[in-house]
Amino acid sequence: MKVTAPVVLLVMCLVALAAGCGGSGGGSSGGSGGSAGTPQHGGNITIGWSAEPQSMDKENVFDNQSIWVLEQIMEPLYTVSPDGKSVKPWLAKSVTLSPSKTTYTFHLRPGVEFSNGKKMTSADVKFSIEQTKATGSQGWGYLDSAIKDIKTPDPETVVIDTKYKWAPFMADIALFANGIVPNHYGGETAKEFYTHPVGTGPFMWGHWTHGQELVLKRNPHYWQKGKPYLDQITFLTVTDTNTRQLQLQGGQEQIDQFPDWQTVNTLKSTPGITMSLFNSTRTDYTMMNERYAPLADVHVRRAISYAIDRNAIIKSVLFGHGQPANSFMPPQVPFYDPKSPGLQYNLAQAKAEMAKSKFPNGFPVQMLVGAGVADEKSIAQIYQQELAKIGIKVTLKPVDPSVEFSDEQEFKYQLGLSYWTMDIADPDELVTFAVVPSAGAKSFYTDYNNPDVVNWTHTAEKTFSASGRQDLYSKIQAQAAQDAFMVFMYYSPYRYAYTNKLHGFFVYPTGNFHMEDVWLSH
Amino acid sequence: MDRFAYILRRLVQAIPVLFGVTLIVFFMIHLVPGDPARTMLGVHATPKRVAALHREWGLDRSVPEQYWIYLKRVLHGNLGTSLFYRVSTASLITGRLPVTLWLIAYGTLLSIVIALPLATLAATRKDRPADQAVRAVPLVGLGFPPFWLGIMLLLAFGLHLGRLFPVGGYGNGFVGHLHSMFLPALTVALGISPLLIRSLRASLLQVLESDYVTTARSKGLSERRVLARHALRNAVVSTVAVLGVNIAFLIGATVVIEQVFALPGIGQLMLNSIFQRDFPVVQGVTLVFGIMVVLVYLATDVLHSLLDPRVRFD
Repeated sequence: MKVTAPVVLLVMCLVALAAGCGGSGGGSSGGSGGSAGTPQHGGNITIGWSAEPQSMDKENVFDNQSIWVLEQIMEPLYTVSPDGKSVKPWLAKSVTLSPSKTTYTFHLRPGVEFSNGKKMTSADVKFSIEQTKATGSQGWGYLDSAIKDIKTPDPETVVIDTKYKWAPFMADIALFANGIVPNHYGGETAKEFYTHPVGTGPFMWGHWTHGQELVLKRNPHYWQKGKPYLDQITFLTVTDTNTRQLQLQGGQEQIDQFPDWQTVNTLKSTPGITMSLFNSTRTDYTMMNERYAPLADVHVRRAISYAIDRNAIIKSVLFGHGQPANSFMPPQVPFYDPKSPGLQYNLAQAKAEMAKSKFPNGFPVQMLVGAGVADEKSIAQIYQQELAKIGIKVTLKPVDPSVEFSDEQEFKYQLGLSYWTMDIADPDELVTFAVVPSAGAKSFYTDYNNPDVVNWTHTAEKTFSASGRQDLYSKIQAQAAQDAFMVFMYYSPYRYAYTNKLHGFFVYPTGNFHMEDVWLSH
Repeated sequence: MDRFAYILRRLVQAIPVLFGVTLIVFFMIHLVPGDPARTMLGVHATPKRVAALHREWGLDRSVPEQYWIYLKRVLHGNLGTSLFYRVSTASLITGRLPVTLWLIAYGTLLSIVIALPLATLAATRKDRPADQAVRAVPLVGLGFPPFWLGIMLLLAFGLHLGRLFPVGGYGNGFVGHLHSMFLPALTVALGISPLLIRSLRASLLQVLESDYVTTARSKGLSERRVLARHALRNAVVSTVAVLGVNIAFLIGATVVIEQVFALPGIGQLMLNSIFQRDFPVVQGVTLVFGIMVVLVYLATDVLHSLLDPRVRFD
């Protein structure tokens, strides 16, 4: 026999390569030409999506991977500004507020059409917001609970009355869940409609092969003339971070969502790739369950907060790409106070606080860690080392990541890790979740209860002057910091790597992006 | 017993096996801690929302009651609705099954293409350098875990050596699949072929020393003809059994390979569904895996009997 292994492998490679020569090509379609800097029309892009979207039902879906896709199809009356701190007109061109501060009159932008070519009217707006409100506490309706009724005096005017003064109202209206869909879902049931939703957004429904790809196509009826620039966007689910990065480098995708922190610096110096870190609203915390006696002692909580070296965690987990948190509110939220006195690393202060506590000799505590989650393990090991210095013996309790959060919600933990990202350009949702024990999240599942803080939170909800709200939220942040109800660990950016042929890609602090502004140079 | 009756009997015997699979998987997935409602809702999981989803999905009933409902559905050919994707489990599986079948078939084919010539080379040059090399080098493939081997192949042939193959993905059309699936199939083949090479080499050595081979040689047949007509046909019989067992194991191994190469097959669906505690999908995919393993073993036995007339259907 004369056949040898190298010959066999060579033949196999040639066969497969020959197959590849006849294969279908990917990449961009032809564009209109133009120089770099001038937006060019045309082209298809593929985004390496780190997890599968769940659903396009804007009224009931809670995961970001779904929300950031459906926002390309359905748009609200107002939208979040690029700095994440205010809202700007979108499908409405303006709004007027009555002197009683309970009636909002929206003037719709003329000439807005759905992707099916039908004109958007006030009836569509009324139906869309009422549908979201109707989901109540099961969906996003809880954010619309202040709405009393919606009137449509003419096709281009919408009047919304609120039950009471509600300062976060405009931020709530700008939520994706209040995006506008055709009246009565265009004659379909909600279930049928959300399998191929129709909206006024820059892109319209293409197809969704579950677990593989979700494809959106250019909306020819889009109200911003000349936009969008791209013909098609494919959200390709690639859960493995290595594969996503290799696909970007290999030209199979144009955007890599959330590359590993440890690869950020390498990607920054990789030719042909832009590695961007966008300001986000993500804040990472350590939760302290006050139902565990030692953690109900404010001096113990303060001691723990002082004992943790945030910079060590940022270096270990984020490879330096973050900053220590000084508040439970992130800097990209309105009324964040940069002077908020969040406790920072100070071992001497930590020891002093322990001495003042009911547990001066320390105590054992269990820390919940997601099994196999490397970042959490690193953080927990730092906690073990740092807290040992003040006499607190930390043992790690690894649990399946899908169980970790439910254990925290059921208070089956002592120390636990958690984070928050903002949905709206107003602090109310976060603050209510974080510090109001009677709200659904029971003060982020810590049982923290400071009546002053709760009272200031409710007052801020009814205060319309910016300075008045700033005063209240500064007081809330300062008191929460002094009470050390959680360890405010760090703020981290959103990370995206993309081909440098891509332009106009910008991620807002709320995590969403406007793909109508994105274009490819050919 | 004729062949048809034998196959029918084996298929009937598979029913209690598959019933056992549904029973074990159902109770195991429900025993594992984790709540799909809380996983889906994330930080927005309030007790009211969790309870509402439990009601909608029937998770508020007792586990035996849930199993009974599931079993009745399965017997009617209904695998239920995915909790996560909110579409039928059957449609999810049928959409992804071709990818996994492609991977298994292509990987098996490549492993045969690698093993057959190398085992022959080694057997015909016993204890010479070529034999030593063939026995030692493929073991490297066996020693490396598939995910590492896959990443190395991606780096080499997908990026650094002229981007010969795409970095993951399934491709479009027959030719596209052939091109896109080459590296994952090669990863599969490099894992299986060392075992095939060793098995086939040992069988060949045994057969080449048989009397009938000596007779064939004494008749003046060329060495190539002796190998092709007499030795290989008999030696390959035992290797078919080894291949069958390996394909059955490979069905489970696709979970890792599909993840590394971003292949939208049922292995990846299974992995994601376990993380999401998507009970109907985990149960459905496991049942399909079970059916595949049963069919592979059956096909192996039938093939074995076709290649070796001494093996009877019994």
